[in-house]
Amino acid sequence: MNRKRLLISDAFKTKKPRLGTEPFGFQENGKSSAFQDETLDTKSALQHLVSLFPRKLFNDTLPPIILKHQLYSLTKDRTLVDRQVSELKDKGEILMFQMGFDPESFAIVFTEDYKAKALAAESGQQTFGTVQKFFDTVLKSCSDLSFNKEKMLKEFIFRDHEITQLVKSGVLTVRDAGSWWLAIPNSGRFAKYLIQGRKAVLGMIKKTKYNEVLRRDLEGRKMTSQVKLGIHYHIHDLIGAELVDCIPTTTGTLLRVADG
Amino acid sequence: MLGFLFARQTGLEDPLHLKRAESTRRVLTLELNKDRVVDRIHGNGVNTLDIEAVEGKYMLSGGADGVIVIYDLENSSQKPQYTCKSICTVGRSHQHVHKFSVETVQWYPHDTGMFTSSSFDKTLKIWDTETLIPAEIFNFEGTVYCHHMSPIATKHSLIAVGTKDPKVQLCDLKSGSRSHILQGHRGEILSVKWSPRYEHILATASTDSKVRLWDVRRATGSLFTLDQHNGMKSKAASEAADSAHNGRVNGLCFTGDGLHLLTIGTDNRMRLWNSANGENTLVNYGKVYNESRKGLKFTVSKGCSPEFVFVPSGSEIAVYALFTGKLITMLRGHYSYVDCCEFHPDFQELYSGGKDCNILAWIPAPRSPVLDDADDQTKNGGSLNPAFEDAWSSSDDEG
Repeated sequence: MNRKRLLISDAFKTKKPRLGTEPFGFQENGKSSAFQDETLDTKSALQHLVSLFPRKLFNDTLPPIILKHQLYSLTKDRTLVDRQVSELKDKGEILMFQMGFDPESFAIVFTEDYKAKALAAESGQQTFGTVQKFFDTVLKSCSDLSFNKEKMLKEFIFRDHEITQLVKSGVLTVRDAGSWWLAIPNSGRFAKYLIQGRKAVLGMIKKTKYNEVLRRDLEGRKMTSQVKLGIHYHIHDLIGAELVDCIPTTTGTLLRVADG
Repeated sequence: MLGFLFARQTGLEDPLHLKRAESTRRVLTLELNKDRVVDRIHGNGVNTLDIEAVEGKYMLSGGADGVIVIYDLENSSQKPQYTCKSICTVGRSHQHVHKFSVETVQWYPHDTGMFTSSSFDKTLKIWDTETLIPAEIFNFEGTVYCHHMSPIATKHSLIAVGTKDPKVQLCDLKSGSRSHILQGHRGEILSVKWSPRYEHILATASTDSKVRLWDVRRATGSLFTLDQHNGMKSKAASEAADSAHNGRVNGLCFTGDGLHLLTIGTDNRMRLWNSANGENTLVNYGKVYNESRKGLKFTVSKGCSPEFVFVPSGSEIAVYALFTGKLITMLRGHYSYVDCCEFHPDFQELYSGGKDCNILAWIPAPRSPVLDDADDQTKNGGSLNPAFEDAWSSSDDEG
């Protein structure tokens, strides 16, 4: 049996050097290298990304928001990430949100953070009770990204004016007649900064001679005022969304603007 | 490898293991080979390829100018150099040639005496291979995007046809007439495929971003539609509930065992589904560039231990591991968009056709020689002045 296994792996060895992704490119600075090595734990990857999120920028009113595709830049195996994220979501540890600007991108927030920040924003207002009720009934039992009218009225027993209050407080946003997205209150500024910053960083890479730059060089550069979320955050975003390709070189990862 | 052969000889090993390991190795080393050329007959893009399952000897190709060519793939000359010759051609001057682009060609699964072709000229033709005269012509109201015959069917001989019309039509070869209509889609049908496991199960993909599975014995409608969010309806947009992709779905492919179904859409995603219950297996292949407005023909390897998917992606062919979604390699060689690829399960070869009018053969790289031989060769090469060397490679091959 042992011999067979050896041989099978041997059969695969012929291919590996050509792939060329594993052998080098791990000499990143700081934490990111540690995460690229241990590929398995999505939750710790999430926590690492949370630590990159600039809380101060929003006066600590927003929960740390992560984009799902940012995880792909930390873990090579996308399938595994998807499965673990969906598991965490079913357990209720994280919440997922549809980002309005792109149907493919989803935001991830830890449930605890989300509840704390949303309630803090509501404190002292008359909508507080409704939001509290929404969290207690809906978020506990259901991990959906959006809700329709029928479900809200019949299953969770909300009244029309309560839904209006929820929309007003930003916990729900209108998606269609009679259906709502779950949303993060006050996240408009985040979306704006994200899109601006993404454009700015991508522009920086495009300005270079061959549309490519070493990741370490890019991280060390002085950022313009457009890049508010932090360069690390944006690099993870660009890699995950496949707007740039990662090419391992002997001096670290090279980022090249993806064609097509 | 020697160990494997020994184990096989002494009966320690299941013959299947050896076969699988070797075919996996071969698929991983696919590359263009100067010794294998496919004759260039098409004067326009190659839309579709099909290799017959009976002997694996003949390949059909359909071109954007309506031309259909049959190639002989078998190399009986016992030399490594081989040009796949065309045996016969339905050329522009042929009296029964398709007027417009041929979108799909397929051999009759049980015999090479017959093949089918469908075209943008709104016809589906059943050809007699001997005489190259259509035995039957089905006419449709809209352009025909695709058709497929069940590879395993013994109880029926239906051809599923996808046209501009949202109804899927089934043509019966026994009676030479259209027997059913499958109603449910709301857009053009870009791809149809029969299950290789159950002869009555049919999958269809459409521009309305849905994929439906049908049991053709059932009169009331489709069995189910595939949903990218696995049944959490509130996640999908209310008007486009149960969509398989966020764009047109233009490619379908069952795995060899028929247990899984791959779909590809213009949202640059490829998804793998459990074909028994329609569940999304959540395999993430990353971005698979796909801008085709027509159907895209991609294929899955057969008989390897992790299976592979070959997907045309721009002017390259991407090779993914089927169940992990990892990108294994990109096969570069075409000068323009690749439209179709076809896997030869017996020899682990891949044939691909593209808009550059070429059909390329991707052949497993030969095993590198044993180390001692290689050393000898380099020594010889070093002692001889390279200027005096002439065609040494071919003499080596013969000797």
